[in-house]
Amino acid sequence: MASLSSDEWRAICDKFTNAQNLTEVESRNDPENDPFRSKYKARELLREIYCSLKSFEVSEGEEDGGGESGDPRPAEQPVDGQREDGFGQGFSGDSPAGLRAAKLGAVEYYLGVNHVDTEELSAGQEHLMNCMKLLGRCSVSSENVSLFIHVRNQLGILWAGRDETETAQGFLETAESIYQHYMKEDGSPPTDMTEYFTTEEKLLTHQERTKRFELAYTHTMYYLAQVYKNLGQTERAATYCHSTLQRQLQLNQFNPMEWALNAATLSQYYITKGRYMEGRHCLSAATVISGLAGEVPSEAAAQESETENERREQLRQKRAEIARCWIKYCLNLLQDAKKLLEDNIGELDTDRQDELKRARRGEEEEEEKGRKSALLFGSEDTFDSIASLEEKVRCLFPLDFTEARAVFLVGQNYVTQAKEYFQMDGYVTDHIEILQDHSALFRALAFFEEDLERRCKMHKRRVDMLEPICTDLNAQYYLMIRRQLMFELAETYSEMMDLKLTLANRQADTQSLDSHTIKKFNHLCSASAKYFQMFLDSLCSPEGKVPEHLEEEVLRPALVARFRVARLHSRLISSSPSVQLDNLNRSLENYKYVVQYCETHPEAATTVETELELSKEMVGLLPLKINRLKARMAANN
Amino acid sequence: MAGASVKVAVRVRPFNSREIGKESKCIIQMSGNTTTIINPKQAKDNKSFNFDYSYWSHTTPEDVNYASQMRVYKDIGEEMLLHAFEGYNVCIFAYGQTGAGKSYTMMGKQDVKDQQGIIPLLCEDLFTKISDNTDNSMSYSVEVSYMEIYCERVRDLLNPKNKGHLRVREHPLMGPYVEDLSKLAVTSYNDIQDLMDSGNKARTVAATNMNETSSRSHAVFNIIFTQKRHDAETDNTSEKVSKISLVDLAGSERADSTGAKGTRLKEGANINKSLTTLGKVISALAEMDSGPNKNKKKKKAEGFIPYRDSVLTWLLRENL
Repeated sequence: MASLSSDEWRAICDKFTNAQNLTEVESRNDPENDPFRSKYKARELLREIYCSLKSFEVSEGEEDGGGESGDPRPAEQPVDGQREDGFGQGFSGDSPAGLRAAKLGAVEYYLGVNHVDTEELSAGQEHLMNCMKLLGRCSVSSENVSLFIHVRNQLGILWAGRDETETAQGFLETAESIYQHYMKEDGSPPTDMTEYFTTEEKLLTHQERTKRFELAYTHTMYYLAQVYKNLGQTERAATYCHSTLQRQLQLNQFNPMEWALNAATLSQYYITKGRYMEGRHCLSAATVISGLAGEVPSEAAAQESETENERREQLRQKRAEIARCWIKYCLNLLQDAKKLLEDNIGELDTDRQDELKRARRGEEEEEEKGRKSALLFGSEDTFDSIASLEEKVRCLFPLDFTEARAVFLVGQNYVTQAKEYFQMDGYVTDHIEILQDHSALFRALAFFEEDLERRCKMHKRRVDMLEPICTDLNAQYYLMIRRQLMFELAETYSEMMDLKLTLANRQADTQSLDSHTIKKFNHLCSASAKYFQMFLDSLCSPEGKVPEHLEEEVLRPALVARFRVARLHSRLISSSPSVQLDNLNRSLENYKYVVQYCETHPEAATTVETELELSKEMVGLLPLKINRLKARMAANN
Repeated sequence: MAGASVKVAVRVRPFNSREIGKESKCIIQMSGNTTTIINPKQAKDNKSFNFDYSYWSHTTPEDVNYASQMRVYKDIGEEMLLHAFEGYNVCIFAYGQTGAGKSYTMMGKQDVKDQQGIIPLLCEDLFTKISDNTDNSMSYSVEVSYMEIYCERVRDLLNPKNKGHLRVREHPLMGPYVEDLSKLAVTSYNDIQDLMDSGNKARTVAATNMNETSSRSHAVFNIIFTQKRHDAETDNTSEKVSKISLVDLAGSERADSTGAKGTRLKEGANINKSLTTLGKVISALAEMDSGPNKNKKKKKAEGFIPYRDSVLTWLLRENL
């Protein structure tokens, strides 16, 4: 290796070890008012190493007597920013000149990182670029490929920090192609950065070398993910996040719970893009890997030790969060299926259903192919567990009640799991969000249910779940949530009311309804109106004053609520004329409000176009109806 | 909440000895409620900002423009107290780099006349108003709690022997709270002062890489003020409870330099170096709006992001 005397060489190696130690260990103890003390010391040592190497190089050059062709042509390097495959000219990486360049380059690299860490970006950049130039004269080989990658990773970070994302992208993409090319052409465990200045005995094992090299590339993937995200290329960013996760598993460089949560979060990205197969895979992997984190400490163990207590909390909480991600998977799958299948009045379109069922037969084969090309997570141990979990729930849209119910049941199961941890007493907001998801699951399933009676029962489940909560919450702290619940309850009661009417109309031959049905109908109608009204009341001041101006977030719901209250009151059935009059007056009052508010606030009109139009009509028609009724009442007296 | 408003005040302090030693130039100017940052190299490049209050405290009390502690209190503290008496919750944050003078403004110097900060002045005023009350149907009670948030862990500064950290929870009726946080009754400003002193002493002593304790943790001092009115006719008692939150935030300089495990996501185009931030990057992706095709009628599919608000944000949610 070196013609430096072995003493001189050892001295250099020691200096390097010191520098590393200062940078990584000692620096943590640097005081607040001199935070870079150790790093400045490390810098001096690195400079000394550089000088030693340089002076040695001069003498080496004389010895060689121009062994290599005089002034080396710059190797056809992969130009950063372009994916080129010009590897091969200039010094060979493993030649003496190549090794010298690598060593010098490594020192420049460490100096570069040192300057960046001490916030001297320009100097850092200079050193890193020097490293690049030195390497530029060499071809890629196992002696220097790690350095090739590392220096580009650093330059990527540096330029990103200056908001020059495309420049960063260039460096990182080149690192990517260098890695891929190297693995294809060579693949042997490359020299690690730290090994340039170690003595023979301390060289790393092949295994360790590979591990570190792969970790460097994992970082390249991660940095590219961030770059793509910053460029707005979210899909590409997601793919690179996926690759990063995949690599962490393959290289066994992960913390199970952290990995599981990240995979579960990635699944949510896929879900929002409608990519259910990938989403399901992420979630299944998340569940399996979270199991690797071990058993939850028992309550008894948790009582005795603070660390066990914390561990118990952490594990339970994170697993419950993964369950919540699964709930979203099931819910979104059902909701998206509904969107595909519904006609223009929100009912299941059977023609479309048949059409989609036919198309699906082809789709299942596509699923298989897609599966293979998609990035699979896991290792030998986990592939099977992940696959078997995936088999428990479909990733293609459910097209009928049976299929929908299967998805619903999986979702419901996760609801139960999640609620075990996120209990009401302690986690009010989370608990209620889970209930809201559960209610939404029922709502989505109801769409597929053909039997109207059973459909109504599903809505009743929703009401039973949410109604008690609404009243038991502190009105001040949980204002937002209460409003959401009120609105949902109002709409659910309305749905039930409509269903009851449809059912009754189907059964009865004549137009008239029996008194039992009327009572039921009125109950549902009033309940719906009550909750809409409660919502409206929640917008008032503590003294009960109606707000003159509605805030943007509540504008549309408030106007819709007014409209619905109006409509519901006009639908209440009563045989008593005075009650009828009351209802009609309430109805008119609310329609008028909508019209008047939109007049005084023109921007509001655009948010409730349909409702406004109908309100205007009713404001015209209702007074006539009211007068007719009054006339009849007078006539009868 | 009717009349809920946010007010922002900015204050500039005198030079410290280091700055004087380096012959620093002051590049801040204030006029009325406008603060101007001067560019010493390019006079035309000045930037001005309007705030609710701009407090010029760079000079000395002899300067007619000088904004004293009392002046700051009169503008900000008095209004807060008024709202509290009306039954509203109020909150005040002090934000700035380590050494900017947050603690001086919030706490001030206890034993030096005229240099008490907002918190002691507010507390004094509170008790003065209470004792000045002549209405027999009114009764008052004041309780305080004092907690420290450090690395997302909550510590009870009034019961520091409790080694563990406290859990934050939500109760359906009580709302968000810190489990087992001491709430001590106080009857005078002296009581409050004593508790604050002992609480301040208990603030986290430096771990490695950190110097000033107060520079890395947030401290939240809460005054729970209950007003009860007894109506002799109906024999009913109504009560108004308001919370006054006084928050001394940790130094706002970059978290990185502490060496603490900063998993805060870097903003803008920055790249996070460590894989520990992978989760945050993925969350950000999942939360990003899907491109230009924002069809308003179609409700965007929603996911659940396993991500917790910081403890401080969560606890003060009702105030924010």
